[in-house]
Amino acid sequence: MIKIEHLTKRYDDTLAVDDLDFEVRPGVVTGFLGPNGSGKSTTMRIILGLDHPTKGRATIEGKRYAELRDPLHEVGALLDAKAIHPGRSARNHLRALAASNRIPFSRVDEVLEFSGIGSVADKKVGDYSLGMSQRLGIAGALLGDPGVLLFDEPVNGLDPEGIRWIREFFRSLANEGRTVFVSSHLMSEMAVSADQIIVIGRGKFITQGSVDALTASAKGSVFVRGANHQQLLAALKAHQGVVSELNDDGLSVSDLSSDQIGQIAFDAGVALYELTPQRASLEEVYMDLTADAVEYGSTGARNE
Amino acid sequence: MSSDVTLGSTVRSEWIKFRTVRSTIMGVAITFVLTIGLGALITLAVRAHWHSMDPTRQLIFDPVSASLSGILFAQFAVGVIGTLFITSEYSSGSIRTTLAAIPNRLELVWGKLIVLVASIFVVAEIACFITFLMGQAIFSGVVPTASLGNSAVLRTVILAGVYLTLLSVLGFSLGLILRQSAACISVFTSLLLILPIIVFLLPQSWQNTMSKYEPSELGHAMTSVTTPGNDFGTWTALLILTIYVVAVWGVGTTMLIRRDA
Ligand SMILES: Nc1ncnc2c1ncn2[C@@H]1O[C@H](COP(=O)(O)OP(=O)(O)OP(=O)(O)O)[C@@H](O)[C@H]1O
Ligand SMILES: [Mg+2]
Repeated sequence: MIKIEHLTKRYDDTLAVDDLDFEVRPGVVTGFLGPNGSGKSTTMRIILGLDHPTKGRATIEGKRYAELRDPLHEVGALLDAKAIHPGRSARNHLRALAASNRIPFSRVDEVLEFSGIGSVADKKVGDYSLGMSQRLGIAGALLGDPGVLLFDEPVNGLDPEGIRWIREFFRSLANEGRTVFVSSHLMSEMAVSADQIIVIGRGKFITQGSVDALTASAKGSVFVRGANHQQLLAALKAHQGVVSELNDDGLSVSDLSSDQIGQIAFDAGVALYELTPQRASLEEVYMDLTADAVEYGSTGARNE
Repeated sequence: MSSDVTLGSTVRSEWIKFRTVRSTIMGVAITFVLTIGLGALITLAVRAHWHSMDPTRQLIFDPVSASLSGILFAQFAVGVIGTLFITSEYSSGSIRTTLAAIPNRLELVWGKLIVLVASIFVVAEIACFITFLMGQAIFSGVVPTASLGNSAVLRTVILAGVYLTLLSVLGFSLGLILRQSAACISVFTSLLLILPIIVFLLPQSWQNTMSKYEPSELGHAMTSVTTPGNDFGTWTALLILTIYVVAVWGVGTTMLIRRDA
């Protein structure tokens, strides 16, 4: 389990992480979601003891990273697949890593095979494609057979086959009871590969929950078509309904359930021809949640 | 220490990293070529012009330091090896993988230092002994020669290798501070080449007191059988240079521990 407590990180004048507080549990894949620059990588670096927090702390099974007796046996991480000396072969890279934590070299061959780069293990890493580097990064994370795994944007650069492979792989790691923490800035990716999702924006915690719960909590709208839209509008407003759209076809109403709308229309004496609840997609939920927290959002893209 | 990652495994890991990149192999090859190749050229030149040399200069001629003159160039090669041993981790970003495997940063620095010092010491000593023996063979019959049987001569050849080893640690320590290969190599080169020029521009009385503190001048004092000019004696020079290197190393190590990776 990973525990983040009041974690804050300031770089000069940037508040990268702002009082984050959450837990990442074993046995499920937890997605760590936020727009670009929201502090995901910073949080992961702090978990790994690479960056020092300004305030608060991050612990793994109750211990700070620096206190871990055998780091690679407890935590495996892939932060940046390209962050390997380009002149070294994959096998030598993994052997150096293995030696530091007294992992036998036979394990290096195992993880190379598992990741599907066994046949190119003696080539220079600098010649690897991004996808091959990702697989090498995954091999490195698995080296010590750790119970906690962190992956920062692992699907970048993978082809559809690789993406499917990695999803199933995360799932199987979680099924083995491991803690799997995966960051992404794409909701669509997390929707299919994660069980639990933690959303942050501008370094701040936004929400946490299962994929289903997040969708359910979304403010869905209800499309209404009736005999007299103006009269309906007045009645709905009187009941705190928010009408987001009104045209000749009908009205889009939020903050009221379809049951409530039906009752209001009946009380107002307006005949209804159509009453359709419209569930927000997870993507829309995400856009909605992080709309205020997009640091580098293009101004045009946010106008519907 | 609470960590199971011990210094021994750190050294093993760093040794694998050190020997599996081309820059190390190239650096070692260049060290040999510069030390021995330039040693050969210079001793051959001395031999060729010996009879036309001023007799007073013949009298103070030091066949040991002459045969070791290649280290004036090899010092840049070992400096670069030391620098790249750490800066390549920053330029590639692998420092984060390294620190995730070895979270105890002091232990990481010691591990790297042990690997660097042991390797460069062996390489430098081999190169210095070869160039010394070759130089004396070139001199023999024409120019007076020195023998390793003389303890002052033996000491000088050994200290030439020690000088190169210390400079590789200086390059490494600058790397810990600056994290960037180009910046390190500029500073390293400035300390050895530009500093003497700056001192040379000062008034004569200042020059006399300051020039002997220059790293290159300390190296000269360490690798001469007789104490040249107003330089420090051999052991004082070694001590001062060691203090410089340890100081820079201390600053670098503190920065590695304090800063974000
Ligand atoms: N070393 C650093 N020095 C200064 N500022 C930094 C540093 N690292 C991150 N930041 C800033 O902190 C903020 C959070 O960055 P971070 O990389 O953690 O975001 P992220 O969520 O991983 O983004 P992305 O989806 O683009 O990877 C950004 O504003 C970034 O510019
Ligand atoms: Mg990131």
